[in-house]
Amino acid sequence: MENMGDQLILATGGYDHTIKVWQAHTGNCIKTMRFVETSQVNALDRTPDKTRLAACGYQCIRLYDLESNCTAPVINFDGVQKNVTRLGFQEDGNWMFTAGEDHHVRIWDMISAPPHCSRVFDCEAPVNAACLHPNQVEIGMGSQNGSVFLWDVKSEKHERIVPEVDASIQDVAISPDGRYLAAANNKGNCYIWSLTSSPDQKMSTLRPTKKIPAHSRYILRCKFSPDSRLLLTTSGDGTACIWKTEDFTKWRELCIENCWVWDAAFSADSKWLFTASSDGVARLWKLQTKSPIRDYTGHTKAITALSFKDEIVGK
Amino acid sequence: MATYSNQHWLLSHIRNSFISTDETGICETVMLSDDMPKHYLRKFGNAGAGGDLQSQRRRGQKPPPTATPERNIRNPDALLLDVDYICYPGLDLSDDEEDMSTHSFDIQMYPEVGAHRFRSNTAQKLEKLDIAKRRAARIKSINYQEEVQPPDSEDFFRRKEVKCPDDNRAKSAEKQSKSDEDDLSDNGVQSKLTEQLAKTPKQTQNRFIEFARFDGTSQVGLQTKRINVYLNMLPEPDRNYPLKICVIASAKIQEVIGFVCYKTSIQYPNVPLKSLQHYALYMTEDNDDMEDFPPLDNREPCSKFGFSHLTLAERRALAPVTRVDYHGQLGTKSMTSEEDKAALAEAAVKALQNINLNGGADPGGGGKGKGKGKGAATEEIDTFREYEKRLLNHNDMLEAPMHRTFRLSIIDKRFFKSDVTLGISGERIEIDQCKNAKFWPQKKPVSTPIDLVAHCEIVEKRQLKALLRIWLKSNSSSPSFSSGCTSAPINASVTTLNMGSGSGSAGIAHSPSSPGHSTSGFFTNSNIRFKHYDFDTDTHTAELIYNKLNCILEMRSSDLRREFLLQKERKQEKRQLKL
Repeated sequence: MENMGDQLILATGGYDHTIKVWQAHTGNCIKTMRFVETSQVNALDRTPDKTRLAACGYQCIRLYDLESNCTAPVINFDGVQKNVTRLGFQEDGNWMFTAGEDHHVRIWDMISAPPHCSRVFDCEAPVNAACLHPNQVEIGMGSQNGSVFLWDVKSEKHERIVPEVDASIQDVAISPDGRYLAAANNKGNCYIWSLTSSPDQKMSTLRPTKKIPAHSRYILRCKFSPDSRLLLTTSGDGTACIWKTEDFTKWRELCIENCWVWDAAFSADSKWLFTASSDGVARLWKLQTKSPIRDYTGHTKAITALSFKDEIVGK
Repeated sequence: MATYSNQHWLLSHIRNSFISTDETGICETVMLSDDMPKHYLRKFGNAGAGGDLQSQRRRGQKPPPTATPERNIRNPDALLLDVDYICYPGLDLSDDEEDMSTHSFDIQMYPEVGAHRFRSNTAQKLEKLDIAKRRAARIKSINYQEEVQPPDSEDFFRRKEVKCPDDNRAKSAEKQSKSDEDDLSDNGVQSKLTEQLAKTPKQTQNRFIEFARFDGTSQVGLQTKRINVYLNMLPEPDRNYPLKICVIASAKIQEVIGFVCYKTSIQYPNVPLKSLQHYALYMTEDNDDMEDFPPLDNREPCSKFGFSHLTLAERRALAPVTRVDYHGQLGTKSMTSEEDKAALAEAAVKALQNINLNGGADPGGGGKGKGKGKGAATEEIDTFREYEKRLLNHNDMLEAPMHRTFRLSIIDKRFFKSDVTLGISGERIEIDQCKNAKFWPQKKPVSTPIDLVAHCEIVEKRQLKALLRIWLKSNSSSPSFSSGCTSAPINASVTTLNMGSGSGSAGIAHSPSSPGHSTSGFFTNSNIRFKHYDFDTDTHTAELIYNKLNCILEMRSSDLRREFLLQKERKQEKRQLKL
């Protein structure tokens, strides 16, 4: 087998309790890892050094070594309650955040000998989503009671907004250029705020900018492209829509009929998009032509999470 | 067992002893049917039961029904078993000891053992715990609920300045306004993915990717199956090492083949693979000796078979009858008689014989040329082509013997049409008049053994309609055919022969539109008479029937068919000479 570090891999996980690792450009499955037998995979993220893959699900958080042939996890979290909905890493891999339905977002110090929890934030409602600001100290969060939070982990200050009552925030995203925060809810609406940071390095401030009635149903994920020029929303209505952040008009609509599009990821040049859907197939789309060019088949049930880490090779 | 040549004994033995131990699926052909040994015996009597038993049987012959009560008294607890195996020829003469051989062995299944060795649940649990323990030793564990320890260093959370590429933005916005509305300009940035995708053209998408989902590795909560598969298409050294696969137990053999191809294409990217229908899974020994058994049935789930080793190889042409489709047969039960069942038994015996006979590389079993030098070379090419053709038709061939019914109209007495159901299976064709025909008197269904069917042709094809003709051996002495059907006998130039002794009407089935033959005797120099049924149907159905029936007939390659085709050829030659 090729050294995994050299090749681009796509990781997918779903309701069949497995995590699969794919060679991104061929669609061949390299490795299959068992997840917890009682849980789907809610979110996947790779450590910045690309050696490990973190996955979370119902009552579990696990880290897998991607470089060994072993399919068992290397780190397992005990005593996890309820669903852990999101996780992610700080850009140097120093710490990891997890968001869960136990109302808490936790920061895990991953460089000290046994990793330990170094911060906790209580959202007072099950947390559905969390994402890291490119400034690496602020975390955007969305909860089931409709609140959107911005939390500064350094100063432990936070701000809270409720854009729509009686709606559950399903996902939040902050653009890589730090300009926008997006929050999508279960009514199919996506809210955009402009983020402005003052030079005195205080917390960013939020200014409501736009409401997009993006989908007719449940939005499952929203994500900005690496160049911050595109915003993606995936939905239970069988589509993934791509919006131009310039004016938040729709640019592309990708359709996977009768399926929920659970997750998606851009390539580093924002030209390609991976989607994960409930038909158990991950797809690679060429955005320019809206055409699917690769299928990643192997999961026996819905794929609910995927992770893809690309890199820029030059201009 | 191998040295025992009594066919009836073999059938009995397979039926009784293998029902729970056979992992090959082959015995199913014998077992799923009615009691074939019985029918076999009824049909063949002593002749098939092996020479040495003949005399014995003569001595102690008793009709089976009278044997039953006697045996029940002798061995009352075996009452249930007796009913089926009563016909075993050695039975009536034997004493109690010998009787044992006719019984099925007492086989007890332990649910937790499978068919192998017995291990206590405790032992298994202990082993599982042990494995889990060893695994856990390597897994670092973190308590999720632990108390918060704020970071020691102030610098742990470090704010990073976000570069706001304002200039870029302005530029791109400018570009945007110029360029097409639907086109986002790239800034010349290229990602690794783009680069790799460019290097791998689209064709490299694995053809067998759809079978990837049958991968059983790391499936949780699904039954899986590990099989070592030898790949016959690999070059010499690799061929001797099996590909280890793990598939979902519910995958059908066809899907397993696909999955093996998928795995092969990844592991041996340089080995060209053909399309799926060219391959089949064959039983194999650990030392990779392919046996002369037919391949595993594509439609069966792989969990049914208990092999640890299999060989993936190109499909070989089938022996004339290798699989007797009893599923199909069940559907036609209403029409089958005792006679038919005997025919089934005969077919099964044929199948067994073919397994023995079909050894060697000769795919068709046809005569090979003896010529050497140039002649041999061309002949070889011919055989090769023939072989190739057979391979391509293989799927058709596999499906052909399955029972299928078609709705069409029979052309009766020159031009009357009536709706009928035509059933075709590997054993027979059946014609049954549809119930809704009110005006004409209801006719009895006709069932013809496939052995009597010679040929099927599409006589006339129009845009939508087609005239289909099925030729069969005329059996004028037999009164069993009661439908109006015509025979084209030898001598007479225009002949109509009343076959319908049951319905009492003269049958002339040459349709007015059937060209050519109606006014001339079709066959002139043979003593076999052929008759035909004419059907009117749409072109598609006609083609389906044509393909199916001729496939069956070709596979059986009966003398009758050969005779028919020969006669037809001669006839045509003659006509050409006349012209």
